[in-house]
Amino acid sequence: MPVSPAKPNMNDEPGEGSSAPSLRLEVTGDSRATLTLAGDWTLARLSAPAPPAPEAGRGPGTLRLAGAANALDSAGALALARQVDRLEQAGWDVGLTALPEAQRKLITLLKSRLPDLSEAAPTRESALARLGRRTVGKLIEANAFLAFIGELVSRGGRLALSPWRIRWREVVAEIEAAGLRAVGIIGLLSFLVGMVTAYQAGAVLQSYGANVLIVDLVGIITLREMGPLLTAIIVAGRTGSSYTAQLGTMRITEEIDALRAIGVPPFDMLILPKVIALMVIMPLLTVFANLMGIVGGSVIAASRFDVSYAMYFDRLPEVVGLTPLILGLVKTPIFAIVIALIGCMQGMRVSGSALAVGRATTVAVVQAIFLVIVLDALFSVLFNLLGY
Amino acid sequence: MTDAHTDAPARLHDIRNCFGKECVHEGLDLVLPARKITALVGGSGSGKTVLLRTLAMLREPNAGSVELFGVDVGRASATRRLELRARLGVLFQGGALFTALTVLENVMLPLREHTRVRGEWLKELAMSKVLLAGLPADSAGKYPVALSGGMVKRAALARALALDPALLILDEPTSGLDPIAAANFDALVRELTDSLGLTVIQATHDLHSIWRGSDQVAFLGRKRVLALGTAAELARRDEPELVAYFQGARSAEYAKLNASPAPAD
Repeated sequence: MPVSPAKPNMNDEPGEGSSAPSLRLEVTGDSRATLTLAGDWTLARLSAPAPPAPEAGRGPGTLRLAGAANALDSAGALALARQVDRLEQAGWDVGLTALPEAQRKLITLLKSRLPDLSEAAPTRESALARLGRRTVGKLIEANAFLAFIGELVSRGGRLALSPWRIRWREVVAEIEAAGLRAVGIIGLLSFLVGMVTAYQAGAVLQSYGANVLIVDLVGIITLREMGPLLTAIIVAGRTGSSYTAQLGTMRITEEIDALRAIGVPPFDMLILPKVIALMVIMPLLTVFANLMGIVGGSVIAASRFDVSYAMYFDRLPEVVGLTPLILGLVKTPIFAIVIALIGCMQGMRVSGSALAVGRATTVAVVQAIFLVIVLDALFSVLFNLLGY
Repeated sequence: MTDAHTDAPARLHDIRNCFGKECVHEGLDLVLPARKITALVGGSGSGKTVLLRTLAMLREPNAGSVELFGVDVGRASATRRLELRARLGVLFQGGALFTALTVLENVMLPLREHTRVRGEWLKELAMSKVLLAGLPADSAGKYPVALSGGMVKRAALARALALDPALLILDEPTSGLDPIAAANFDALVRELTDSLGLTVIQATHDLHSIWRGSDQVAFLGRKRVLALGTAAELARRDEPELVAYFQGARSAEYAKLNASPAPAD
């Protein structure tokens, strides 16, 4: 009488009083066999599909599943259902009636789902498909940015002719959030950058005894480049990202669709006020950043390089004049538009998941800072060609 | 309310849940009998979800004790609590599927975290849960955004079932489903309860779930379980809250259908 017990992969953490699942085969006649079930047929005991089926040979014949599992959960039932299925394919007529009713039911339930189980293997995209998807995605994104600029011009232009229809309340709220609350961080950072510039300039100039030229250097660098650029980068990181996160979340919670359904164009309500607010606030923040940068420079000039405050602020208007200030400020509304539009566009393009909001926020900040610096370089070239 | 004290996976005793000075539960007791479906009903704001969150160990009650599988949760160590969590399945009201993962990956996550199952067997086990929850096989590879409301509920059920929980906590499983889908969902929960030996508690507003899909109904009112019994028993009670809840026209129809053949009036 061949007896072939089978042991499954044992789990490391067998609970108290539990035993390994097993199947024992008894061939009782020419075409009759009994498969006896014992042990715990539970997930904790089945870290691999199942104990290998005892070799029952090929049918036809009748096979009775007998005994009972100590415990049976759906993982155990699935493992047993597969055994039964395999035996049936080998030509056996498998009878489950000897099992306790609850266990028979569960095995039958899972066995009825087996065909779908084997057929369904969710496929991953191939590398080529992913490359294609990404390429098309980039093209769509570039196109979307152009479309966004187009929408700004067409809608914004129409609203500019009837400015009372612009949502000024939103504009003011955005100005407060993006402008007023950014004053502290922009002031502090500009002050520090002004100090650093003065240090570096002073160290070189001192060796020529030309300490007083610190004023020229700090003044021009701050007004033309540092002030506008620093402000734009901080605003992109602080405000542009929050625009993306806000709009992206509103997309997912269907708030944008709700606005549309109520008959409020999301562009008028959400995007245009942000663009206007940034265009107003960026030049003002830049002026403040300039001021703090110059003050920061003066502190170092006075304390380390014998350029008194009186001398510093006396010389500043003489040597620097108004031109660098204006050249610096001219750039800022352009920066503002780029930051606001990229922030909003990335937000509006979010779809689906919380993950997408995070990803869009990162993309928005990177793109905005990238474009701001590229534009700044282009402005430098342009001003140089114009002779400034 | 007579039997089943011998084997109750969950016991709530003298629970108090407050938000600031506002208390939703005070002196609440509830026992869930094993292998039975308990419906948790009550008006809006009666604290159904809060009670389920307390039961699911997502909220510590301000007072009172939660006992799961004979363990006092409030005194249990972190490891013990983690073990308990693996024996709970929770279906959140909105599904709360992880949007970054496909349906199958959603179901695989708890399996991967709590068991040593890996590879094809892991996929197959997860897939069997997806199919048991009544989803078509091809939905397994889809992301939650691509699913309809009913499918989200089923996918969430599949994830809740992933570890063969002994206690299944369902927060409004049939809300937002059409009546046919809701009835199917009730039947599914019943089938799984019977075949997997689950104990289920479901917060619900669905009359069909209350009358047909539950073994006992716990009515929340006056900050506690005001009444506990079968729907038919509760419908005969005379507390004003229960009368208001069960005397609606639609509820009366169910009561009539449910009543044993009685002389016509």
